[in-house]
Amino acid sequence: MAQNNTIRILDGSTFVVSEDTGDIEATPSEPTGFFSLDTRFLSTWVLTVNGERLNPLSYDDLQYYEARFFLVPGMATHYVDAKLSIVRERAVGGSFRETITILNHDEKPVDLEIRMEAASDFADLFQVKDEILNKKGEIYTEVESDRLRLGYRRGNFIRETAISASPAPRYDRKGFAYSIHLQPNERWESEIDVKTLALSPGGRDLRMGLRSHTERLALQHDLEDWIASAPKVNSQHDRIASTYRRSLIDLAALRFSPLSLGGASLPAAGLPWFMTMFGRDSILTCLQTLPFTPDLSKTTLRVLASLQGTRFDDFRDEDPGRILHEMRYGETAAFEEQPHSPYYGSVDSTPLFLVLLDEYEKWSGDVGLVMELERECRAALKWIDDYADLLGNGYIWYERRNTDTGLENQCWKDSWDSISYRDGKLPPFPRATCEVQGYAYDAKLRAARLAREFWGDPDFAARLEQEAAALKERFNRDFWVDDGEYYALALDPDGRQCDVLSSNIGHLLWSGIVDEDRAGRIAEHLVGPRLFTGWGVRTLAEGEIRYNPIGYHNGTIWPFDNSFIAWGLRRYGFAEEAAVVASGILDAATYFQGRLPEAFGGYPRELTKFPVEYPTACSPQAWSTGTPLLLLRTMLGLEPHEGHLAVEPRLPIGMGRIEVLDIPGRWGRVDAFARGRLDMHRLTD
Amino acid sequence: MVDATTRFFEDLDRRGYDPLLAKSSGTVRLDLHEGAHTTHWLLRVDHGRLQVSREDLEADTVVGTSPALFEELAAGREHGVAALLRGDMTVSGDLRLVLQMERLFPSHPDVSGPRRRFHGHPEVQ
Repeated sequence: MAQNNTIRILDGSTFVVSEDTGDIEATPSEPTGFFSLDTRFLSTWVLTVNGERLNPLSYDDLQYYEARFFLVPGMATHYVDAKLSIVRERAVGGSFRETITILNHDEKPVDLEIRMEAASDFADLFQVKDEILNKKGEIYTEVESDRLRLGYRRGNFIRETAISASPAPRYDRKGFAYSIHLQPNERWESEIDVKTLALSPGGRDLRMGLRSHTERLALQHDLEDWIASAPKVNSQHDRIASTYRRSLIDLAALRFSPLSLGGASLPAAGLPWFMTMFGRDSILTCLQTLPFTPDLSKTTLRVLASLQGTRFDDFRDEDPGRILHEMRYGETAAFEEQPHSPYYGSVDSTPLFLVLLDEYEKWSGDVGLVMELERECRAALKWIDDYADLLGNGYIWYERRNTDTGLENQCWKDSWDSISYRDGKLPPFPRATCEVQGYAYDAKLRAARLAREFWGDPDFAARLEQEAAALKERFNRDFWVDDGEYYALALDPDGRQCDVLSSNIGHLLWSGIVDEDRAGRIAEHLVGPRLFTGWGVRTLAEGEIRYNPIGYHNGTIWPFDNSFIAWGLRRYGFAEEAAVVASGILDAATYFQGRLPEAFGGYPRELTKFPVEYPTACSPQAWSTGTPLLLLRTMLGLEPHEGHLAVEPRLPIGMGRIEVLDIPGRWGRVDAFARGRLDMHRLTD
Repeated sequence: MVDATTRFFEDLDRRGYDPLLAKSSGTVRLDLHEGAHTTHWLLRVDHGRLQVSREDLEADTVVGTSPALFEELAAGREHGVAALLRGDMTVSGDLRLVLQMERLFPSHPDVSGPRRRFHGHPEVQ
């Protein structure tokens, strides 16, 4: 996929993916374009000079929202003779703006025909992603004296791309052009503005009144403020500090303002396919980043609460109290060809919502939000007990009611073949995956704390604690795989175990549902040779029938998964094992210039020497971006404790000194210092 | 026979409070256009307290659609957010208010809801 030689710039849900010349020529296999509101607004954007395509000398992606391309006319062999330089500078933020600068280096004047081809197929992101193209509406073009309008109309659904340039070019149906005369050493410039419009019949834009950064300077100030208000990380070895900085900037880029929140932002899931609100991804990213950027959590909790399910809807898999899975704004959502308006088909976002609120309060002391969201918390707990327990035996199960476009697997491993028995067969529905039971256990205990301390309801708290204790007992009986000494990935409706060894057991440590006397065995599995590659923990253990080192959820390594596994190991006192996982992932990050992808191959470290990126992985992706932050928290042992911040660092020797300054929380701002003291060879030998 | 739109608003007015709107305040005016004729509903929300009238007054949010579509929304047969994305329902002013009001629409009359396999009964309202 468009991983190689494509340049991406973004601001929240608006982004441009182009070739390294800045050109866009979208085809089903080359998903480049200018996207906003889950719609492609430009599918062709090709610059020519005297009818010739341009060739790249170099490019700079200056900031996440801007890039600069240095180009020359002609083929690569002619570079030395170039008498012209062409520079394209572009930025997104509200609209897409590009400045073209042409310099004549010749001693003679030149006459140039500058042309930009522009077109749009208005593909829904789902059509781009799944390569389906049969538009039901009509595409139109309007050439006006001061702009070119490309449009798409289907009933009252109208999306338009308005292109204008200064100085004024000649607009035609396929783009715009200039005829210019340049003296020796003369410089020429054109400023182009491409606006996206989502119009209703009255001519109003769907996004009217939403704050968006349209000015480059505003974007720059916003990024500077974002970095200035986050803690500073200094490290003896440069890579930790630079990975942290990369993550912080990518988090800024991934912030996204949903239509329903009047401008506040939360993390979108990932570029390019998931620049939207996801329940699970947004919550897990917030849990990872809480010590560094706590405001994201507050916004995420509020927006998810405001869209919590209120009724039954079989198409959207909505139930009262359920937290959403995914929101989309494109044509397929509008015409109910896809259920994302929003879609509720996940079983973990609801318990994780409760987990995040409690964790957020422990850090921030924001009792106001705990009071504000009491009703939503109670509705979420009711969903866990009443609507998710499809067998009535005390577990969270899933079985989609939308059998056409709904998700089969409603856990984080949501691909079709992610849940299997040891013999490789797939179980029937409903299914109950193990990690979700852990989340439910944790959610009930955390909600009990909120009920007792803030909602003044000790009876409810006691009931939740009893339910959690019963769940833990039941879980340790039903999910424990005796002959392997680990927890089954899932149960099928007959109670039969999906008895493969998977990374999900690490999440169980994080949730605290693992019996103390079994935790040691789980830790051994996690850093043992079947799961641990040297870089990280595989999603599925080597030796399982479905294991494949580049199987999306059947053998790749997901950095976010590893960050929660490390947190879980630390929770049960396995600080060294946690450090093994953390340092493997942080080592891998250096091969990606600090930007961890969604997933990378599960090959043994000594075999490949470098981490092999998964072919269609999204990057940057929010929960991969959040991973280094959670690993830092884990290794430094940062834990809110009775109103202050406890620090208990356990770093490998090779990591040297790390300091994290100005960690925000109910304590004001405090610093944490750590020095590598753990001898890691002892464990892996 | 009273239509679903009238039933929806009269029910809100009678109940006088809905916890789903406890965090919302403001006024929503619904303009139902049919040819040259427009009928109005005005919903006042004050931290969940609800008051309905037929006044044509300025409001924080103005929603425009056809009587036929709103009838389907009020009966649970159409979906508000999808209608909004499609442009079949238009909004000016505070979008948040209408997204919160939308949550008051009922389930589809034919919904099955989550089904328990071996115990109990389908959990439909």
